[in-house]
Amino acid sequence: MYGRKACQLVKELASGEKGQLTPFNSDLFEQVVAECTQHHLELQALIRKMQEEGLDVQTTRNAEHHGALIRHLSLVRNKRCLMAYVYNRAETIQSFLWKIGHVLPQEIEEKLCHLEVEYFKKHSAALKSYMSKMQLDLTVDMVPPKDPYIQVRVLDDIGDGIVLSDDKTANFARHSMHFLKRTDAEQFISRGLMEELTG
Amino acid sequence: MAKYYDIDDIITEEEILSVIFQKAASGVGIDPSSETGYIETGSKVEVPFWLSHELQLRQVVSINIPSCFDQKTRLEIQADCASVDLRSRCPFFYEFGCKIAPVVGDRTIGFLLLSAFKNRYKEILTKAHSAAFSSASKFLSVLTKEEINLYDAAQSSMTSFKKWRMGGPRFQKASVLGRKRRSTE
Repeated sequence: MYGRKACQLVKELASGEKGQLTPFNSDLFEQVVAECTQHHLELQALIRKMQEEGLDVQTTRNAEHHGALIRHLSLVRNKRCLMAYVYNRAETIQSFLWKIGHVLPQEIEEKLCHLEVEYFKKHSAALKSYMSKMQLDLTVDMVPPKDPYIQVRVLDDIGDGIVLSDDKTANFARHSMHFLKRTDAEQFISRGLMEELTG
Repeated sequence: MAKYYDIDDIITEEEILSVIFQKAASGVGIDPSSETGYIETGSKVEVPFWLSHELQLRQVVSINIPSCFDQKTRLEIQADCASVDLRSRCPFFYEFGCKIAPVVGDRTIGFLLLSAFKNRYKEILTKAHSAAFSSASKFLSVLTKEEINLYDAAQSSMTSFKKWRMGGPRFQKASVLGRKRRSTE
């Protein structure tokens, strides 16, 4: 049956958890594209057959016409599935920029195809140039702020000599606790390198 | 066209219907029983909804009511709505019903969907706001995709409320990153 593989590709997207990506299935993608080419060739063959019989291609409604119609509809369906696959992945990649920041961790990067990595880089560069023109950092304050400073504990070794926004250097050794500006700490917390301490 | 990229819409339209071809078609391989790729007039074939819908608009096929809306399901829904396993019949029961209704020309499908949804919604509301996970999982397996979305929305609003009530860290690690790496890496 036509359109099965394309639907399988889309179902892969649906099967992942919300906001997560599965690795880019380039084999299946290429198989669907090959199926499209196949449909196109068959379509042309049917139209040629109608022309050889001397029938008017625009108006006759014979068996070849219906066959060509079915081929055309399958082609359009495959196109829709492929477009939806790429579009939804692109949306998820855009959301990564807001959740994780401008650098993708390795575990996510290996799930993307190289074109998607390029897309992320360009999107990130566009956002950076916009923010620098506005002189406003849009990626902080994802949660409405209550306090300008928060207490954090470091979970992973980040190293020392990290320069914070008020030009002081800090030594982020594991299990150390710090009292930081919320905007600095936010990017580390979202990457899982620190946790917020309350009470 | 607003649903062109919508994944659920694409999967809904993949549901299989059985249709009868009113005109012949050649050069296609949809019918597995015919080897030549020629479909005779009057032959019964199983095709997905996206194909049958377009073909019916051009009067090439006529569509029969799919099995998920037949008499057996209607009787079950009238008897005890909340425990009917709609997911095994059709995971997108309501959406598919909405699409099928104008095509098949059956007026009663709308009422069927409405009554089924009204009765099940009461169960969904009560279970979503109170039940623990273990007892809920059996109930979840009979829900359609649309009902599961409602259920998840209710659950997430309950967890947000509890979190707000108890206080606690508001900044979270990005959910997309998954679990912590092993310490050997």
